[in-house]
Amino acid sequence: MRWTAKELDMYSKSKEYVDTALIPLIPFSFGGEMKQTGSVNEFLSILSLEIEKQMKGRVLLMPTFHYASNEIDKVERLKHWADVVKENDIRHIFFLTSDYEWKKAEGKLENNLIWLPAIPMENLEKEQARATIGQQVIQILDIFTYNWENEKK
Amino acid sequence: MSKHNVSRRQFLNYTLTGVGGFMAAGMLMPMVRFAIDPVLSADKGGDFVATKQKVSELTTEPTRVDFSFKQVDGWYESEETNTAWVFKKDDGEILALSPICKHLGCTVAWNTDKSHPNQFFCPCHYGRYTKDGINVKGTPPVKPLDVYETKQKDGILYLGRLKPHGEA
Repeated sequence: MRWTAKELDMYSKSKEYVDTALIPLIPFSFGGEMKQTGSVNEFLSILSLEIEKQMKGRVLLMPTFHYASNEIDKVERLKHWADVVKENDIRHIFFLTSDYEWKKAEGKLENNLIWLPAIPMENLEKEQARATIGQQVIQILDIFTYNWENEKK
Repeated sequence: MSKHNVSRRQFLNYTLTGVGGFMAAGMLMPMVRFAIDPVLSADKGGDFVATKQKVSELTTEPTRVDFSFKQVDGWYESEETNTAWVFKKDDGEILALSPICKHLGCTVAWNTDKSHPNQFFCPCHYGRYTKDGINVKGTPPVKPLDVYETKQKDGILYLGRLKPHGEA
């Protein structure tokens, strides 16, 4: 479900079925890396919407966690987000990122960090882009289902 | 040639009626058009979208068919891609099922649950549907999968509006 009034109504009605949250982590900066952060923004936004589309009934797509590339307390800030989500009966939290910085902090975040290199969507034909995203989505869904199944047992 | 006399009074009457008529029509036409507008507007939902699927290549095994169309989502118009699971029934008729689970809207896939082969499976809450889209009792979904209207033209499959199962 997306973070829109209508879909959150749906969430309130069927809370017991939604146990997973997805938070995209998207940085910004000026200067040399500016364009790169633009690519990341495009890629992760499309990807997270596609994941949400496939898993609408169980995954809540949270508002994006934005941060400045050189932000020092971003890990603390994200931990706070995760705490808030967890307090509300959501057992699985996934972070989606293309920024390797988070990988270094993975130990501090006890949730699932999905890191994948950003694909510059601006260089791809529409059909190609769709196929690429489709492939990525399938692989990410495997991570989700794996987590769910292991919890069941 | 008979000489027809038109009096000044008659001439003015004719002219005024004529001009007045045009003016009245000019005012009324848009109002009438406005009143019956819903009848005149084209039915957009009924448009069929061409897929890349050749009808001759369809089998009795459900195949994934992707198709895209323009969709207005809130403020933005975007190109939306949808999927249908298409196969030929035993009597040769084509059935195109929507992949959207009737439980909470996840996307179902064909034959992905190893313990229940030859069924549509929803990974979110383990809902299942038989091949013709009927929900399996005891799993979360309470309704069968929706069905696309189908049409063939030049050997290509066209998909139309979504309908509840049983109506299409």
